[in-house]
Amino acid sequence: MRLLELEINGDRLHVAAPPHWTLLEVLRYELGLTGTKQGCDKGDCGACTVLVDGKPQLSCLMLGSAAQGHAITTIEGLLPAHRAQGGAGADPVQDAFDRCGALQCGFCQPGMMLSAKALLSENPTPTSTDIKHALSGNLCRCTGYTQILEAALLAATKTEEVL
Amino acid sequence: MSLDAARHTRGESLFVDDLPQPSGLLHGAVFSSPVAHGRLLSLDLDAAQKHAAVRRIFTAKDVPGENQIGAIIPDEPLFAEGHVHHIGQPLALVVATSPEAAREARDLIRAEIEELEPVVCPREAHRREQFIVPSRSLRLGDEAQLAEAFAKSATIVEGQTSTAGQEHLYLETQASMAVPLEGGRLRIYAGTQGPTAVQRVAARVLALPMSAIEVEVLRLGGAFGGKEDQATPWATFAALAAHCLEQPVKLVLQRSEDMLMTGKRHPYQSDWRLGLDQEGKILAYEATLFQNAGASADLSPAILERSLFHAANCYKIPNARITAHSCRTNLTPFTAFRGFGGPQGMFVIESALARAAEVLGVTKEHLQSINLLQSGDVTPYGQEMQGCVSRRSFEQTAQRFDLAGARRATVEFNAKNKRFKRGLATMPICFGISFTNKMMNQAGSLVHIYLDGSVQVASGAVEMGQGVTAKLRNIAAHTLGCDVNLISMAATSTTTVANTSPTAASAGADLNGMAVRIACTQLRERLDALERGLPWKELINHAHQERVHLSSAAHYATPNIHYDKDAEWGAPFAYHVYGSSITRVTVDCLLGTYKIDSVEIVHDAGKSLAPLIDRGQVEGGLAQGIGWLTVEDLAYSDDGRLLSHNLATYKAPDIYSAPVKIEVEFLEHDESPCAVLGSKGIGEPPLMYGIGAFFAIRDAARAFRPVERSGAEDLLCAPLTPERLLMYLHGNR
Repeated sequence: MRLLELEINGDRLHVAAPPHWTLLEVLRYELGLTGTKQGCDKGDCGACTVLVDGKPQLSCLMLGSAAQGHAITTIEGLLPAHRAQGGAGADPVQDAFDRCGALQCGFCQPGMMLSAKALLSENPTPTSTDIKHALSGNLCRCTGYTQILEAALLAATKTEEVL
Repeated sequence: MSLDAARHTRGESLFVDDLPQPSGLLHGAVFSSPVAHGRLLSLDLDAAQKHAAVRRIFTAKDVPGENQIGAIIPDEPLFAEGHVHHIGQPLALVVATSPEAAREARDLIRAEIEELEPVVCPREAHRREQFIVPSRSLRLGDEAQLAEAFAKSATIVEGQTSTAGQEHLYLETQASMAVPLEGGRLRIYAGTQGPTAVQRVAARVLALPMSAIEVEVLRLGGAFGGKEDQATPWATFAALAAHCLEQPVKLVLQRSEDMLMTGKRHPYQSDWRLGLDQEGKILAYEATLFQNAGASADLSPAILERSLFHAANCYKIPNARITAHSCRTNLTPFTAFRGFGGPQGMFVIESALARAAEVLGVTKEHLQSINLLQSGDVTPYGQEMQGCVSRRSFEQTAQRFDLAGARRATVEFNAKNKRFKRGLATMPICFGISFTNKMMNQAGSLVHIYLDGSVQVASGAVEMGQGVTAKLRNIAAHTLGCDVNLISMAATSTTTVANTSPTAASAGADLNGMAVRIACTQLRERLDALERGLPWKELINHAHQERVHLSSAAHYATPNIHYDKDAEWGAPFAYHVYGSSITRVTVDCLLGTYKIDSVEIVHDAGKSLAPLIDRGQVEGGLAQGIGWLTVEDLAYSDDGRLLSHNLATYKAPDIYSAPVKIEVEFLEHDESPCAVLGSKGIGEPPLMYGIGAFFAIRDAARAFRPVERSGAEDLLCAPLTPERLLMYLHGNR
């Protein structure tokens, strides 16, 4: 076991985990942050996407130890972060995905939403092409993607209003 | 949006692998056959057993009850013994203190197998007479009439088609956790569409009464038919180990394990012959379907039946003989997948019409439009069509989305462009709703009103993203006449509603919705017998004071369905769903790549219970249908090994594969009295709009390389991957 010091969703945490564990395993099986999902064996589906210093990262391809010294945001942290910045209601991405029917089974969508969040943080006025590029690493088997694209566009207009 | 939507956006929805881990939790890993067909000589477990973290290894001899999981036919052991019949067939279950230790130990197991020749092709299995069940034929008119109709035909086309399998790719892999309760009882948290199926098989395997086993399902991370029967073995493995070790056991498949060990959509091959009169009206159709069933029955007989029922799609065919063979091969047993054999049957008649249109020199949409079914017509399975809106949906699609203009634009574009060609295809659909096994068309519900006015609704329906819980909640609120926010949906459990059918066949909301409606109607009637006009909470309090029973259990069985299998004649469906689409594509004929420019749909959802959910079902089904026939390519070696067994080698549609534009319009009408509140089932039918993408690409390819120059190649084999398309466009010159 190895003692890790991690900054997750704004909290500084000390956690013991096997040294070869990925960030995904540390999140799910040590910290109980099960919103981050495992959909494939490694690196193909995007379900485990988290934000590392605001950038999307596949947590199944990152060792837990490599996450030390970086600010990690998981799906559970989206709402608290939005509220901490003085936002009312849900984060624009959460709200838009809910409104647009952009999620069905809910398994791909934490990763999908964090990829969208990262895009909007960097580019508040993305085109459809920008959105497709940003979400192309996240597989969804339920929706056919149209409603996801609509949600990302809606979130962009809301994000712009907030800024 | 689904009832879970807000929870999903916060990452709070729990799936099996997210449940809090009980103390002492053990983990399972399955060792499976590395050989497609052979005699099992020995299994060397020694090295695995010495692994420090291993608690126990189970094989066939450790099963306390029957080593049998087959649902329709008892032909599938939980653990193979004696012979192995496909790669990925379970031989042993390793239980250890962690998932990785279980897999480490699993990899130390050695099986000695004397290899026998495997059969992977359904036509080869047919030649060897290896069948799952006796072959079946539907007929409209007798043999002499069929021969006469062909003799009278001005045009006869014939050919062969094939459609490949399809991986379900539910994002949540198969997962179950079994927890021992006091007194030798078990609770299984199963990732299944069929809690009762798991309960029944686990009881059989463990030699326990069903009453000693509770199966609970909170939600599934996608299923699409892949967790109907194929969830059962994993839940049963967990139950077996938990029962024997008296400790909780979890089994979660990795993606590659899941893809190797679980069944997929059935591949089909077929021979067909179609006769038409001078105007293009269908006079006669004969087709023979060869279903690749895999190594055991699973749900193949029922899927075969639906292929037969949908082989004529939405067309009036006066003389028909449609035969289907369920062929036993040495591949992992194929299983339910959205459409349940229907799409495979429909693809064949669409192929025949595409070929006929070319021979006649007319468009496929013209042939489709003049052959559509109407109310009063009789299908090859004997059902007289009622409330048929086939023609209406086709015409509304053609007008609303300007089919004639779209065809003109396609022709004009193709005349001007050499490298890029556009293609167009219309796809009318007709899909029967009901389980074709009459017994399965029943459902139950249990509704409690609590003293504070809040309501809990339980049913047999499993939520897997299709939004059934939101629909049931709306039905309950509407029927009880209370605020929808007072209603919570219970996890699906065999302890609240027993003996349920799987949530499948697009009938989840129909059947369970009716059961919920009946229970709520009973409660409403009890309340209406009291003082009227009280606000809800006061009314409930008053009812309790008056000793009114505030719980109700109800049962629903679909009326008026019947089918005689000996005569192959009857009315197996409560009703049919219709709709029509126009798909437009652009093909880069230099590269073989294509883009789906648009799919425009008029879909018959009856009176939609939740339009946003139904739109999601239409678009999601469409995307899966397109994926099945275009980019999704299951590759097998000649010795029966799946080569594309992870997401690096199996291409699934990503956001770039999605059509550039999807437009969905719902057909408004009052012709759907058969399902709950005038709605219609929606899960499966839209998948078949995906067939339009195949024929639109084919249409574009033909514009580049016309029929007369293409030799024997008929371009009726799916999937039409860019590689295959490129071979067609430039091969054999």
